[in-house]
Amino acid sequence: MTILQLQKVSKTFNGIYALRNINFTMNEGEIVGLVGPNGAGKTTLFNLISGQLKPSSGKILFEDKDITGLKPHTVCKLGISRTFQSSRPFPEMSTLQNVLAGQVFGKGFSLHTRPEDEQAARELLDVVGIAHKGETLAGDLTLSEQRRLDLARALATRPKLLLLDEVAAGFSPVLVKQAIKLINRVRERGVTLLIVDHFLNLSLKVADRLLAIDHGEKIAEGSPNTVMRNRDVLHAYLGLRHQDEKDY
Amino acid sequence: MWTTALVSGISLGSFYILIALGFALIFGVTRNFNLAHGELVVFAGYVSYWLWKVLAWPFVLTFPAAILATLFICLGLQRLFARLYEPQELNSIVLSFGMAILIQNTMLFWFSGDYRLIRIPTLSQGLRVPGFYLSYGQLTLLFLSLTVIAILYILMYRTYLGKALRATIQDKEAAAQAGINVAVMGTLAFCLGAILIGLAGPLYGCTHYLYPSTGHQVTLLAVTITIFAGVGRLGGIILAGWILGLAESFAVILCGASWREMVAAVLLLTLLAFKPRGILGKGEQ
Amino acid sequence: MSFFASKNTKFRTKGLKFDSVGLVTGLVLLIMLPALVQSNNYILQVFTHALLLASLALAWNILGVSGSISLGHAAFFGAGAYCSAVLSLEYGLSCWLTIPLAGLLATGLGLIMDLICLRLRGAYFALATLAFVEIPRVITDNWDELTHGSLGLVGVPGLPSLSLGTWSVDFSSSITASYYFVFAYSLVLLGLVRFLFNSNLGLAFQAIREEEIAAEAVGIPANRYRLLALLLSAYFTGVSGACYAHLVRYIEPGLVYGLHFSAIPMIFAICGGRFTILGPAMAALIIYPLDQFVFHPLLPAGHEFLYGVVLIVTVLFLPAGFWGSLRKVS
Repeated sequence: MTILQLQKVSKTFNGIYALRNINFTMNEGEIVGLVGPNGAGKTTLFNLISGQLKPSSGKILFEDKDITGLKPHTVCKLGISRTFQSSRPFPEMSTLQNVLAGQVFGKGFSLHTRPEDEQAARELLDVVGIAHKGETLAGDLTLSEQRRLDLARALATRPKLLLLDEVAAGFSPVLVKQAIKLINRVRERGVTLLIVDHFLNLSLKVADRLLAIDHGEKIAEGSPNTVMRNRDVLHAYLGLRHQDEKDY
Repeated sequence: MWTTALVSGISLGSFYILIALGFALIFGVTRNFNLAHGELVVFAGYVSYWLWKVLAWPFVLTFPAAILATLFICLGLQRLFARLYEPQELNSIVLSFGMAILIQNTMLFWFSGDYRLIRIPTLSQGLRVPGFYLSYGQLTLLFLSLTVIAILYILMYRTYLGKALRATIQDKEAAAQAGINVAVMGTLAFCLGAILIGLAGPLYGCTHYLYPSTGHQVTLLAVTITIFAGVGRLGGIILAGWILGLAESFAVILCGASWREMVAAVLLLTLLAFKPRGILGKGEQ
Repeated sequence: MSFFASKNTKFRTKGLKFDSVGLVTGLVLLIMLPALVQSNNYILQVFTHALLLASLALAWNILGVSGSISLGHAAFFGAGAYCSAVLSLEYGLSCWLTIPLAGLLATGLGLIMDLICLRLRGAYFALATLAFVEIPRVITDNWDELTHGSLGLVGVPGLPSLSLGTWSVDFSSSITASYYFVFAYSLVLLGLVRFLFNSNLGLAFQAIREEEIAAEAVGIPANRYRLLALLLSAYFTGVSGACYAHLVRYIEPGLVYGLHFSAIPMIFAICGGRFTILGPAMAALIIYPLDQFVFHPLLPAGHEFLYGVVLIVTVLFLPAGFWGSLRKVS
C-alpha cells in the first residue's frame, strides 16, 4: 500500500534549485535509503516532507492525503516524524521528559501526564538502550545517546512514517551494528522508514530500496545492488567531481 | 505651515540621525543592543547642563567634557557586554535595560526630576524666510548633525579603518579571518558611539527639556531608526532619520503634539511586523 | 554560563523539601503579618504593594517560561487599571465584575500584540514589546472624555466587599483588609501558575523555549502555545492592574503604563528564577521591601537603582536567578 507519494516536487532558494522534479513513491512497511553526496538535497527533501519547508512546486501525499505545505506539528499529528542531522534534544529536560514530550503531544493533547504515557516513554527509552539515563538532563548525554534519544522521542509520537536523518553519522562499526539492530526493531513496530545516510554504511545494510539523488535530481532508484552499480551514482560519489553546492 | 513642518522635520530628523548613529554603530559591530543609549544621551546632556549652569563653562566647552564622561561609561559598558554569552542580542537587551535603570536613577539622584534646559538665548531666535520660520536652534541642529554625518561618512567609506569597521559589521567571522582585529573594532565602535552620544547630549539639552525618564523615548528613536535601516547602512540611517523626523512633524500638525510619542512606536512595530531585517537590509537565511 | 538556558535546574518541583519548607514558612509569615506588625499601616502597605508586584511577576513569568522576554507588560497593567477604574467609576459597576473584565481587555490587547509580533523571536520580540506599550499609553493619555487624559482618574472606587451569609467584609475599609485581598489574589495566582507549570502545558512551554524546531517536530504548535502564554500572562497582568487601581484609587497614564510596572515585575521574575514557580514571588517579597525600608529612606530620589543593579548582577552572575541557583545546591 502506498504510504508516501512525491509528485514533481521542486524547491528553489533564491532561484537556485535545491530539488528539481522529484517523483517518488514509498510503500508501507519498507525501508528506503535516500543516498547522495554532500549537498545533494537530502535534508531539504526531509524538510519538505516533514513540513519545515514548503515545496516551491509539486505535491506531497501521505496516505493519499495532500500534506504539501502543512506545518510540522500538523504533519506530526498525521503520522510522520523525523530526527535531525544534528540532534536536538531539549537540553534542560530529563531524558524521560524529552520522550514524554513526544508521547504527550505527538497525537493529541492531555493536560496531565497519564501513567500509560510515562510507561510508554520508559519502554521507548529501553528500546533505544538509554533506559538507565532516564533522569539525566538531555544536555548531559553523549552524542550517541542524544541520537538515540532523538529516535526515542520521534518514536513516541507513534509515527507511521519515520524519517531518519544521518542517524549513523560518525559511528564506528560497532555503533553501526547497534544502529542496524535498532532500526530493525523499529521496523518490527510497523513503522515505515526513510533513512538518509551520507556515508552509505547503514543504508546499504538495512534498506529494501535506495533512492539516489544528486544536485537536487533523482538519478537512480531500485534495489541497493542496482543503484550502487549505476554509473551516475558512481560518478556522483567517486568520479567526476562537481563543486560542492551549499547545503541549504 | 506645511513648509515649516517640512523644514522642522528635516532638522529634527537630522538630529535623530545623530542620535541613532551611535546606537547603530555599536549594534552593527558588536551585535549588542544598548537600551541604555537614550539614558546616556540624557546623561551627556546633564553633564553639559551642570558644567554650563553650576560651573559657568561656555556651552561649547561642555561638549568635550560630555564626550569624555560618556566615553568612560561606554568603555565600562563594553566590558560588561563582553561577559555575555549567547544569545548575545537578547542578553545585551536585558543587561542594558538594567543599566538604563541604573543610569536613570543616578540622574534622578544628582539632578532630581525637575525639568532642566540649557537656555541659549540666540538659539530661540530665528530666521523668517518667506514661507516658513527656522529657529537658530533648529539651524544649529541641522548644521551640526549634517557635519557629523559627513565626517562619519568619510571615516566609514573613505578610510581603511572605516573599511575594517564595515567588514566587521557585515560578517564578523569573515573579517576576523581577513586579519581584522574584531575586538579592537568593537572598542572602536563603542568609542565612536560615545563620541556621537557626547555630541548629541548637549545638543539635546539645549533643544529639549532634560528629565531623567526622557531617555526611554530617545532609545526608542534610536532603535526604530536602526531597525529601519537594517544593519550597517549609513544611507539607510539617514533616510530613516529624516522619515521619522518628518513623520513626527506632520503628526504634530495633523493630530496634535500629544500624539508625537506614538509615531516612533508605530513605525517600529510596523517594521518588525513586516520587515524585521530592515527596509534596505538583506534577509538573513 | 548562558543566561537564558540555566543548567541543572529541574523545571518541575517534585516536592523538593526546600521548596515546601520555604513556601510554608513564607505563607505563615504573610498570613500573620498584620498581627506581627501590630497593624502598622506603613509596613502593611509596603507588603501589599510587594504582593501586588509578586502577582505581576508571576503573571509575567507565564510568558517568560515560554521563552519570550517582554519589556512592555505595563501595556496590560495600565489597560486593566483603566478599564476597571472607568467601568466602576463612570458606570457604577461592581468591582467583582470590572476586575475580571479588565483582565479580558488586557487579553484582547495581548491578541493584538500577538498579531503584530507573530514571527518575532528573542531580541526583536523584546524590542517590539518596548514599542507596543506606547500605543495604549498615548491613546489613554489623549482620550480625555473617557480617561481624563494626563490628569488621571481620581476617586476610583475602592476594593469591593464580600458577603457570605451573615459574614461580610469590605476590603477597602482598612489597610489590613486590602492586604488580605491582595494576598488572597496572589495566592490563587500562585496556585494557578503551579498547576499550569506542572501540567503538560508547562512541558510544552519549556519545549518551545528550549528548541522550537524540535518542539514543532513532535507535534507542539509553537505559535499557538506562545499565544496562549501571552494571553494568560496578559489576563492576570490586567487583573493586577485593576486591583492596583482600586487599591490606590488614583491612576494616571504615566504611572500605570510606566517603566515601574514594566521593568520591576520582569526583574523580579528574572532575578527570582525565570524557570521556577516560586522564584518571581520570592524576589518580589524580598527585594521590594528591601527597597522601601532600607534604600528609600537613604536615597529618596534614585533608590530604584537597586533594581538595575539586581538585574545586571543576575544577568552576569546568576543566570538561573536566585531561587533557581539555590535549588541547584539542593
